[in-house]
Amino acid sequence: MIRNFPLITNGVALGLALACGMLPSSAYAANDKARISGLADVAFGPVSTATDTPISQDVCAYSSSATNGYSVTATGSGGGGAFTLSSGAAQLPYDVLWADSAGQPNGTALSAGTTTSGFISTAGQQGCSNPTASATLTVVIRAASLGTALAGSYTGSLQITIAPQ
Amino acid sequence: MNKKSLKISAQRLMLGAALAGALAGSPALAATQGTLGATSTGTVTITASVPNRARITGLTDVTFASQDPNTAASSAQNVCVWSNTATKAYTITASGSGTANAFTLSNGSSTAAYSVEWAATSGQTSGTALTAATASASLTSGAVNQTCSSAPTASATLLVKMATVDLGTMSAGSNYTGTLTLLVTPQ
Repeated sequence: MIRNFPLITNGVALGLALACGMLPSSAYAANDKARISGLADVAFGPVSTATDTPISQDVCAYSSSATNGYSVTATGSGGGGAFTLSSGAAQLPYDVLWADSAGQPNGTALSAGTTTSGFISTAGQQGCSNPTASATLTVVIRAASLGTALAGSYTGSLQITIAPQ
Repeated sequence: MNKKSLKISAQRLMLGAALAGALAGSPALAATQGTLGATSTGTVTITASVPNRARITGLTDVTFASQDPNTAASSAQNVCVWSNTATKAYTITASGSGTANAFTLSNGSSTAAYSVEWAATSGQTSGTALTAATASASLTSGAVNQTCSSAPTASATLLVKMATVDLGTMSAGSNYTGTLTLLVTPQ
């Protein structure tokens, strides 16, 4: 889920920055850190041409910022970072969803190469010992895409980058 | 392989569809985890396989009404056959509702034979004769999607014909009905 905190945190950051005689560039301290872990490969196997096919996984997204806020940027291995799998010259697009809690079947749709802000982590530690996961990554192959896809074995990679906010 | 049945009759012909399956393997898994930093990046490998699939749509029933037995009957219809293989190849298998899948219509007490032809392009008035329950030679579809919703709007022609010799055996004023099942198999 995206929560509308940036205005508040920006205000806090602005006050702190002015007090220190600095221009604010973001809402988080320079030494804030983030970590994404718990990622697993996504193997759809044979996919139906009749229905959307999602696969979700719980992951750990940790942010040390005061608000535990973070942004997510996803980049696929298709041309221009597109979310596409390839089988030779054939392409198969997919969607990427992100939710800032575990066990979510849906989430915010990410645009390839575009940073989406406003997520909050509940992870207490960078490795998510408790809770054991703080976010859900969902990859969806749409039936509409499968309707015209050529038969074959498709593969691709997805890079997820998070940054504290 | 998958099929749908098409129904045919002197009154009508119903449609069918088909698909078939295949599969593929998946590469080695290699997710990477992020490290703690100003930004953190992880990667996942995504794999999927799309099985061979075919589909036939756009079929309509066939009716030969008040057919003059001295004039051969012929009905041609444009249909959409789609195959998702790299070559877009498929075979077509037609099965009638007569004994041993014969192409026959029945009025309950007697039968009349018909023939089925298939052309791999639309708008044809003749095609390759199909043998009941026997797959055709490999054909190629020009369809770019499952239902030919974009050009070409049809990719094949189904022809149902009745010869005068068969029409001549039919009883006047009697309705003859049968079903034709078409199975499309991607190649």
